[in-house]
Amino acid sequence: MGPLFALAQTASRFGLWLGGALILLSALVIGVDVVLRKALALSVGGADELGGYALAIGTAWGLSAALLDRNHIRIDSLYLLFPDWLRAALDILGLLAFSAVFGLIGWHAIGVVDQSLTAGSRSMSALQTPLALPQGIWLAGLGLFLAVAALLLVRALTMLGRRDVVGIVRLIGVRTAKEEATDEVRSAEAVHMRIGGEERRS
Amino acid sequence: MIGVALAILLVLLAVAVPVAGAMGMLALALNTLYSKLPLSLAMGEMAWATSNNFLLVAIPFFVMLGEILLRSGMAERMYNALVKWMPWLPGGLMHSNIAACAMFAATSGSSVATAATIGTVALGEVKKHQYSERLFLGTLAAGGTLGILIPPSINMIVYGVLTDTSIPKLYLAGVIPGLVLAGLFMLTVLIACLINPGLGGRRVTASWDERIKSLPDLLPPLIIFLAVIGSIYAGLATATESAALGVVAALAICAWRRRLTVAVLRQVFEGTMRTTAMVMAILVAAYFLNFVITSIGLTSQVNRAITRLGLSPYELLFAVIVFYVVLGMFMETLSMMVATIPIVAPVVFAAGFDPVWYGVIMVLLIETAMITPPVGINLFVVQGVRGHGKIEDVIIGSAPFVVTLLLMILILIAFPEIAMWLPKLAAG
Repeated sequence: MGPLFALAQTASRFGLWLGGALILLSALVIGVDVVLRKALALSVGGADELGGYALAIGTAWGLSAALLDRNHIRIDSLYLLFPDWLRAALDILGLLAFSAVFGLIGWHAIGVVDQSLTAGSRSMSALQTPLALPQGIWLAGLGLFLAVAALLLVRALTMLGRRDVVGIVRLIGVRTAKEEATDEVRSAEAVHMRIGGEERRS
Repeated sequence: MIGVALAILLVLLAVAVPVAGAMGMLALALNTLYSKLPLSLAMGEMAWATSNNFLLVAIPFFVMLGEILLRSGMAERMYNALVKWMPWLPGGLMHSNIAACAMFAATSGSSVATAATIGTVALGEVKKHQYSERLFLGTLAAGGTLGILIPPSINMIVYGVLTDTSIPKLYLAGVIPGLVLAGLFMLTVLIACLINPGLGGRRVTASWDERIKSLPDLLPPLIIFLAVIGSIYAGLATATESAALGVVAALAICAWRRRLTVAVLRQVFEGTMRTTAMVMAILVAAYFLNFVITSIGLTSQVNRAITRLGLSPYELLFAVIVFYVVLGMFMETLSMMVATIPIVAPVVFAAGFDPVWYGVIMVLLIETAMITPPVGINLFVVQGVRGHGKIEDVIIGSAPFVVTLLLMILILIAFPEIAMWLPKLAAG
């Protein structure tokens, strides 16, 4: 179970980098496109389309990391009042509901890709992208999400078997708005301190 | 039907099912209960269409823009420059806080990022200059909310996409209310300090020479603002394209400051995509839910029920405002937007209110939600930056600004032109 979990974490991190790189790349292509269009009345063509694919692929490949890091928003007003065992039960229920919805989306997404493949659909643009290509990568991201969700579920249920409710809450529990805020602050502070240090040295 | 839908949603949210999961589950339940057609068959196609919607591509761009700027050191320099320019008013640095938030807001689409960034830079100054800590904290929490009113704004993009409203028009409509609100926040500080001079700390003095020298530090935010908002206004770029230009400009500034490294890029990628995936998961589910509630006729049923109440347009508007102020105390703001706007906004539009104008009202209500307890994300952020004492200090310090925000909403109702003048001017 341990190595599998580490693999899930590595794959999810890779998903974030893939999505981030695609988003940055499409920002650059769109930026160049806007400048060329105005300055030389030229267009790269299809820059918008690439941005759309980057978002779809980035979203699908980022879902599992967001799940592992407990980033998906949950309303915790009542949750915080509950005892640990109830929280743990709700955590498992929440994970189930979330994965069920995106599992169903993934299931129907297979149909979407399949249809693009059989019809040989291409985008209606200068690029004429075979749609199955971006859709396929998108579907693979959803697949990674489901695999990670299943792994988390198995892990949580094993913990339930051991009556390790605290472990469950730590694995898939709600990150409270306060935790969320603390993270935001930590990254701002890390930058602040690094810059402060540099300025004192210079 | 309305009661059942509301009950299912409330129960799912109350037991802390992730918001995206709760919306998807509600959609599936409503489909099973009220429709003979298996609407879920459309889930794949809809998820794909939502995920590659070009308007929504602006969201990761703005998140990335913020992540890059955070690491470029721009905020520090900008704040220090503003401190030199604004020490003369009673309340001193607290005005610099609000001005810095307003200026940062012009480069950032997020209120949380604005409060965290300016808060981190500013909080070191409290003790140094003997300010009343509470009001000082309040200026940061409230000033931070300007992040989503002064364009660019992620919340305006979400509103625009959910209600089919022009995002460039929403941006333009936010500019003057944003400046007016920043002015009102400063006025709030001024009045508080005139009533109780003990609140303002020791004044900082700066020579004209120092002031002039600090001016170049105000350039980077101006460049970003011109790239993002100027390009839309000049007709060079669409809302999403302008966001891409913002990313390019931010990258250039970060490289120019020699802070662009592989490690920084990796952090930027991770931060950006985590937030993006989380936001998009909710939007994908919300789109499917909207499709289902429209198909089963729930939207029109809500519309009829409200029409039967026989409220005048302004009675309806005030009911909506009270609803959001109360809900905003308890609910996270993005979830609040996607859960309510598809139902509430059409009712408000049907009563004759302008979608662009109502978009600005909506943003002001979200800003209020961010600084009203018990759940107010900016309160938590500022308390987190402070790292000691009780959250009550931030809540009390922010309270005067809640009043200011509500006042701003009333002003905007009385004088809609404050928001509508710029978009109308641009439309010619």
